[in-house]
Amino acid sequence: MLVDVVQNTIDGLLIGSSYALLALGFTLIFGVLRRLNLAYGPTIMLGAYAATWAAREIGAEGLALAAITVAGAVLGGAYVERLCFARRGGLRGAATARGPAIASMVASFALWMQLEEVVTLALPRHLYPFPPLYAGAPLVLGPFLLRVEHLVTLAVAVLVAGLLAGLLFGTRFGLAVRVVVDDVEGARCVGVNVPWVLVRVFALASAVGGVAGYLIAATSGQVTPMLGMWSTLKGLIAMMLGGLGSLPGAVVGGLALGLIEVHSQWYVGPSYRDLIAYGLLFLCLWLRPAGLLASPAARARLAATG
Amino acid sequence: MAGPALEIHDLVTAYGAIEALKGVSLTVADGSITCLLGPNGAGKTTLMLTTAGLLRPRRGSIRFGGEEIAGRAPHAIVGRGLALVPENRLVFPAMTVTENLRAGAYQRRDRAAIARDIEALYARFPRLSDRAAQPAGTLSGGEQQMLAVARALMSRPRLLLMDEPSLGLGPLVVEEIFRIIRELNQEGTTILLVEQNAHLALTVAHHFYLMEQGRVTFSGDPRALAEDEVIRRAYLGSARG
Amino acid sequence: MDAYAVGVLTNMGLFAFVALSAYLLLVAGEMSFGQQAFFGVGAYAAGVGTALWALPLWLALLLGMAVGAGTALLVGLPTVRLRGLYFAMATLAAAEMVRIFFEVFRYRREVAGRLVGPDGTQGFQEIRWVFERGIEPLGYLGLIYAILGLLVLGLVLLERAPLGVAVRMVGEDPELAAVLGVDVTRLKLGVAAAAGAVAALGGGLYAHHNTYVEPRNFDIMLGVHSLAYALVGGLGTVMGPLLGVGLDVGLLEGSRVVRGYRMIVFGGLVALLLLVRPRGLLDEATVHRLGRLRRRPRPGVPGGAPAG
Repeated sequence: MLVDVVQNTIDGLLIGSSYALLALGFTLIFGVLRRLNLAYGPTIMLGAYAATWAAREIGAEGLALAAITVAGAVLGGAYVERLCFARRGGLRGAATARGPAIASMVASFALWMQLEEVVTLALPRHLYPFPPLYAGAPLVLGPFLLRVEHLVTLAVAVLVAGLLAGLLFGTRFGLAVRVVVDDVEGARCVGVNVPWVLVRVFALASAVGGVAGYLIAATSGQVTPMLGMWSTLKGLIAMMLGGLGSLPGAVVGGLALGLIEVHSQWYVGPSYRDLIAYGLLFLCLWLRPAGLLASPAARARLAATG
Repeated sequence: MAGPALEIHDLVTAYGAIEALKGVSLTVADGSITCLLGPNGAGKTTLMLTTAGLLRPRRGSIRFGGEEIAGRAPHAIVGRGLALVPENRLVFPAMTVTENLRAGAYQRRDRAAIARDIEALYARFPRLSDRAAQPAGTLSGGEQQMLAVARALMSRPRLLLMDEPSLGLGPLVVEEIFRIIRELNQEGTTILLVEQNAHLALTVAHHFYLMEQGRVTFSGDPRALAEDEVIRRAYLGSARG
Repeated sequence: MDAYAVGVLTNMGLFAFVALSAYLLLVAGEMSFGQQAFFGVGAYAAGVGTALWALPLWLALLLGMAVGAGTALLVGLPTVRLRGLYFAMATLAAAEMVRIFFEVFRYRREVAGRLVGPDGTQGFQEIRWVFERGIEPLGYLGLIYAILGLLVLGLVLLERAPLGVAVRMVGEDPELAAVLGVDVTRLKLGVAAAAGAVAALGGGLYAHHNTYVEPRNFDIMLGVHSLAYALVGGLGTVMGPLLGVGLDVGLLEGSRVVRGYRMIVFGGLVALLLLVRPRGLLDEATVHRLGRLRRRPRPGVPGGAPAG
């Protein structure tokens, strides 16, 4: 019994690390834009499908596939950013808060639909195999089984989180990002080129998403048109669980979601697994809307503006 | 001292169909403290925001040190030596006081000089020094105002725009802030000051303008006129004066 | 009218209900990703009503509306204090929970020698009330639009009444509304319940048109689509969401030219439109201007301040 709990916990953390990556990308965009990008998952899917096409048509493999996935995601992200969110860098008085918040979100949904159709037109089958990251047997550590692909995902997630932290707290660009997240008007006052920062953060978030997308595709060994919505949902749930706009929260939320899913599936089966995940999210929003890791400042901000 | 620090000519800024600035012209002499007075809604803050680049004007010219800056992006304007202390301070609440100061020096790359400037500002603002590691959001109103001023100074501006620095603050803090304004000016910084507290503002100003309903309606030297005539004009406005 | 046109018009009518449902909440200032849940609840409840409990259609639809409103309150009560994205996520979570509930929900009864009723992921088959009475597709289309017409009329009247004004005020500025004496919480819950009932009504009609529903019909896509219809059409008037549905389902579905590229075209158009018109085609400003065109021009009244 204990062995099962530990095994499930390990699996949950491993799966959760890919959710954490998705949530990190989502949070970066939300942090600077204060808007929800519903096309985030679909741009990742675009990258994964580009890599699938490359694998089929020109025999690309390994790191080249990862690079193509990231490139596809970044290009897709740039398209979405230009069309839906570019105005956000505009000056005060150009547009007031509420209307355009919904508008850019629905616009991103429209692009989600576009990207999904593009992808299914290019590769129409319901499912395509994706070259797996590792084709060998899982590692055996005592009574526990560890899939190597999952370990790689965890390692990459840790690496990416570390790099992001280093970027945010150790570089001038990172300072600009933190300043924009904290108060965008104040950022303009100190001379930060806000539109420039937004474009780059978006690209960074797309790149992180692309990495996540490659790992997810290479671990599951397949891509489907559902990947877009699936990635968006996982990233969104993880972000909300951990605390909106908080990068450490994104990691915690992702890991928590992984743990919840694996343990739920073990005890109540796959049908109820998502029910429990959504139920916990609902509970979290009801009782502790700022998220598991919300700082007092975030909770105060939530109370003030919603 | 070459030429005026700031020359605004016939500036028009609008929010949609509503013109907040209907053709404002004024001059800020280099090395002076120039004060902008007027009732609420006169357009003073709009003028400050437009000058700093946070609002785009519809028409008109803003010359800073001889260079045309109207319609340029705010980050370009800060780079030219103009800094704004905005009306609601806009400190970065989640970042520490020191990080706020570092953010103020965002456009500078000279690390050693930045560090020295931070030390100098802590010497000038001892209350900030006490709170150096605290998040700016936990500071009192007066401390946040000082932080906003200190942060603006980190970019070593030639011209400092200050929008209602005394707003919501107690008299002792306000005195301190005006002492600092005088000090900064004596050290060579030109200051354009928007103030509701006309009485206090006129004790430091070399020149003042009165704005009403989007236009400059009066321009004067406070020392040339008797004090109560100045206040009368400032509060009652030239139309009824 | 050929069968294809009847089908397109029927879909337009049915999705108009869930678009109106999203619209009502948007006007009250909340963005919901979950109205599809009440569409589904209404479908299942009305279906159970006619297929298992031998109720006449009108009663089953009312039953569906009641269950829809009740479910909406169940979701609305814990979330009433949430705003913006938090509220949206909560509705999304709730809607998915409802959908998953239907994936495991089984309620089978023997009726006329056959076993009928919701059967988890297999869905709910044999909702044949309309079919059994020989009602033609065209006739059912008429029924849908008659009901929709009454609903729209009612909403238009409500919009002009103090209640409608209060709802819009809550949507624009809840603090101001509260200061003016509006019970914001009660109003929001009322709108949530009404929106749930409207979606459920559409769901009931949908179930009887298709004779078969399954949980997959009520997924997030439907929810976000409804939101899109409402927003694109415009938040200024009840006609807005109808316009949105008409544009997507009607125009693009009906025009076979863009058949395979429908979403690419529609998606691009929507994104471009929202760039220039963040409150939709028939936004408040446009509605205001159209209204003034109808009234007699008065001397000495120039352009005036823009709305919103």
